[in-house]
Formats: sequence, C-alpha cells, structure tokens
Amino acid sequence: MDFDIFPDFGKPVRQVTNAFVKKLVVDYAPFFDGISAGILWVLLPLERGLRGAPPILILAIVAVITLAASRNIVLTVGIVFATWLLGAFGLWDQAMQTTAIIMVSVLISIVIGLPLGVLSARSPTVRATLNPLLDLMQTIPSFVYLIPAAMLLGLGKPPAILATVIYATPPLIRLTDLGIREVSRDLVECARAFGASRLKILTSVQFPLALPSIMQGINQTIMMALAMVVIASMIGARGVGETVLVGLQRNDPGRGLVGGLGIVLLAIIFDRISQAFGKRLQAYREVRS
Amino acid sequence: MLRLTLAAAGIVIAGPALAACELDRPVMFADLNYGSAQFHTAVASYIIEHGYACEVDAIPGDTIPLINGVARGDADIIMEIWMSNPAPAWLEAEAAGQTVALGTTFPDSVQGWFVPTAVLQGDGAVAPGLKTAADLAEYKDLFTDPEEPEKGRFYNCPAGWVCEEVNSKKLMAYGLDDDFTNFRPGTGEALLAAVEAAALRDEPVVFYYWGPSWILGKYDFTLLQEEPFDKEVWDAMLEAEEPTEAVAYPAGEVIIGANTEFASEAPALAEFLSDYASNNAQTSEALAFMRDNDAEPVDAAMEFLKTQDAVWTEWVPEDVADKVRSALDAS
Repeated sequence: MDFDIFPDFGKPVRQVTNAFVKKLVVDYAPFFDGISAGILWVLLPLERGLRGAPPILILAIVAVITLAASRNIVLTVGIVFATWLLGAFGLWDQAMQTTAIIMVSVLISIVIGLPLGVLSARSPTVRATLNPLLDLMQTIPSFVYLIPAAMLLGLGKPPAILATVIYATPPLIRLTDLGIREVSRDLVECARAFGASRLKILTSVQFPLALPSIMQGINQTIMMALAMVVIASMIGARGVGETVLVGLQRNDPGRGLVGGLGIVLLAIIFDRISQAFGKRLQAYREVRS
Repeated sequence: MLRLTLAAAGIVIAGPALAACELDRPVMFADLNYGSAQFHTAVASYIIEHGYACEVDAIPGDTIPLINGVARGDADIIMEIWMSNPAPAWLEAEAAGQTVALGTTFPDSVQGWFVPTAVLQGDGAVAPGLKTAADLAEYKDLFTDPEEPEKGRFYNCPAGWVCEEVNSKKLMAYGLDDDFTNFRPGTGEALLAAVEAAALRDEPVVFYYWGPSWILGKYDFTLLQEEPFDKEVWDAMLEAEEPTEAVAYPAGEVIIGANTEFASEAPALAEFLSDYASNNAQTSEALAFMRDNDAEPVDAAMEFLKTQDAVWTEWVPEDVADKVRSALDAS
C-alpha cells in the first residue's frame, strides 16, 4: 500500500515563498532601495563621524557621558579604560562601525517598540496578537529572512540593521508592557479620581513608574543588538563581528578571540552607560514595581 | 562442539564479509558547503554505500577546517581540492604525507570576474567598451557602492576562501583599490543573493565567481578578460605586498583528496576514487537540475547515476556497477 500519512506541505510553501521573494525583488526594487537609502542616510553620517573623529575626542565624549549619567568617577575611569582597550586591541575602526549600527538599530527599535509596548499594555487583543509574533521574531533563525533581506536591501548594513531590529525589539515591547501593567491599580484609580485624562495618566503616572522596566528593556535591546553583530557580518556589514567571522573562516582562533573580547568590551560599555542613564531617569526610585 | 560452532559462525561471517566494506567504520566525507562539491560528495557516497556496502557519513565545515580534518584523519575523503589556487593547508598536508591526491573531479573549472552580459552588449548596454578587468577603473560609477558612493563595489569572495586573497591582490595590481571597495560578503550565500538580485533587476554588478555553478548557468554573465595565465607573474603577484601585474586565473583542475591511512586501509575505495573523472559540463548540469527542481544534492546524484551510466561505470568494477544499478532501480 503506497499511502503516506504525510501530505507534502513543504514543497508548495517553498515554491510560493520563492516566487514571492522574487516578485518583491523585481517589482518593488525602488521601494526597497528607498528603505535602504533611508537607513544609510541616517547611518552613514553617524558612522563617518565616529570613524573620522580623533579617538581622544571619542574617549572624552565617553567620559563626559558616563560622568553625567553616573556621577561616579570610578565607573567613568573604568568605562574610558574599556573604550581605550578597544583601540589597544586594534579594533577601534571596527568598534566605531559596530557602534553606529547598534545606535541606529536601537533607535529604530525604541521608535517601534515603545508605542507597541504601551498599546500591548492597554489592549489584551493587541497583546494576544503580538505575543506569537514576538516569539517568532526572537526564535526564528536569522538566516531565514536574512538572505531575502540581502536581496531586497542590498548586502551590507541595511539588512544587518533590519535583522538586529527584528531580534532586539521584542524584549523592549515585553518589558514596556510588563512595566506599565504592573503600575499599581490604586495609583491609576487615584489619578483618574483626580480627573486626569487617559493620556495624562499614561504620561505622568504609568510611564514614569514603569521606567525601571522600560530602561531594563532598552538595556536588553542593546545587548541583543550586540549579540547580532556576528550574524550581521555574515551579510557584509563590517564591524567587530567581521573580526570574529574572519577568525573563524581563516582558521585563526586568536583573531576570533580578539573580536569576541571586543564585543564583550562594547557590551560592558553600553550596558554600564545605559544602566547609569536609567537610574538617573528614575525620579521615583523609592517606588519599587 | 563450541569450537565447531564458532568455526561455523566464522565461516558464515567470513563469506559475506568478502563483499563487505574494507573498513569497519563509516567512510567519512568532508561535507564542503557549496553546490558542486556537495553533488560530487553525494555521487561518491552513493556509489560507496550501495556498490561497496560501506556505511557513509559526512562532517560539515568550511574549506580550510575540512582540509585539516582530512589531514588529521577526522575525515577520509574531500571531493574538491582546487589546484588553481590550492590552499596552503592542503599543500602542507600533502608534503607531510598525511594526505594523497586521487582522481580528478573535473579538469576544466573557470574562475574570474564577471559582469552581466546586458551591461556589455545589446541595446541599452551601458558599458560597451568594458572588456578587460583593468578597464574597470573607468566604470566605477556604474557599480556604485551605496555605502561609499564615491567608489564602485567589487564583490570579492568571503574572507577565508583562498580566492579572496587572490582577488585582493588583483585589485591592487590593476590599480583599482582606490576606486573600488573590496567588499567581502561574509558568506557564499550572501554573495549569491547580491548577484542574483542584481541579475533579476537588470542592474550592473561586478563580482568574482567560478564555474561550475548554477548562477553562471542560470543568468547571462560575461567573463572580464585578463592577460593569459603565466606562472611566474602569478607567483610574483601572490608574493608581493603591492603587486603591479596580474594575470587570469589558471584553468582549473579540481582533484579528490584523501587521508593517506584511509587510502592504504581501503585500496578498492581508493582505486574507485582514483578513477573518478567528471567534468565542468556534467557538474553544471547537475547544479542546474538542483536549482530548477528544488532538489537536494543526493537527488541530483541519483539523476546523474541513472542518466549517465556510460560515464560512471568507467570508474568501478562491473560487480560494483551492478549493485549500484539495482539500488537505483529499487529507489
């Protein structure tokens, strides 16, 4: 008996997907070129600035930012030292490129993620629809959409930023949602009793009180963006990930280790600075969520 | 009585053992990560599995780690060593006696820099004067790099492939390194994505590629001319920090490499691999088959074995060929 209990769903899915991608590549070229150009329009000046500036200036800026955010001399010295170490490892140029990519990706993630997190907190329908999508974004192997993205957006930084945004936005959405929902009902009722509009409640009560959670979300977004740098280098984005990839491909584990250390240093720098900023922004530190 | 039983059992086992595998472990192939190698690995695996009754397995990886694996004995067979720009890892392993060269997978590979034919010929050809690689300097605006708009973009090999170094030297030798970005795509798939997208959109693109490959078969690209291959100039170019002269890639022989111990432990398999002899055309056909039918390398291998009986039966003794044929009929 030649009966197989499994119908072949795989083949039509493959064929339809391939035809769809091809259609997008050929018919929608100007649209995607526009997106790519838009991303580069923001990214390239930033990258040029970071790469072109004398390193001393960058170190000074890092020192000022860290000091302003943390008011802690020891931390500032440590962070400036970590930044200086990037150059000492020969990774300065790559680190600047990676920083530019991270900054643009995180900016896009915040612009998309914060509003979605707020919506998700207020509407169970939105949350129910969003949850499986967020699960998908966090678990789907990047190469599934990376090659089509490279075909549509061109090889290099734009698809890398797309991949990073897809991977890094879900934590921000989830933590924003969590933070806002966890604001004490009593406080919200109290504010409503005083006649505050929904918008006012959101901006003056819920948002400030959810700030610890939201800042944690932004911090996680930054960390996950850094986790993507090696994948980004696989589709031509330069940066510290490229050092790791070249180390792997040239059978040069030393180079891979140096690149890995660079990524860790960047993670520490970004993490400390963003945590310090987070603490500074929290006016109501006594109120724990 | 026990001795008699054991002796009888020994005979029973020894009988079919004559037709069984020379090795008591799976034959390990190096699973290279590109199409032509995967096809030939599938063909050789099928013949060894069904004709020589061996178990087969494959270990995935990139070229250099796999060559080192064959040298160390982690893998037995690697189906493609490109002799036109052989990896130093291979040359060292061969010199040290760890590996041995067997048959020729195909003797006529092509490597070089390609542009879409539509750019050079026909109506709407934007660069009819572009004939040689050195000419590219005048046409950098045609291949603008979106990330560095003052320069053109040359799609090199991913870092870690031997061709990446060769192409980088050539860029310097042709005086193109100030006018073109030496773009390393990160992976072979990314390179293909960029090239196919440009081909589908009818956009100019200049890139390194090789044949046999499906992309050269599916779309119409033209090879940019270079000076004919000259070994002295080639070696000097690779030695120099900043070469000034370059020549075309040599016509490529691609051979099969094997671990020396494996070759001595399994002489029948080594003989089969020494007689293995395919060519560019057969390989490209297989690659086109895989692409058009969305097929796996093993499907293309079986298609080749079914349709090209006259070719592969030259590589194996008659009884092995019969076993392979009956396995094909049964599948």
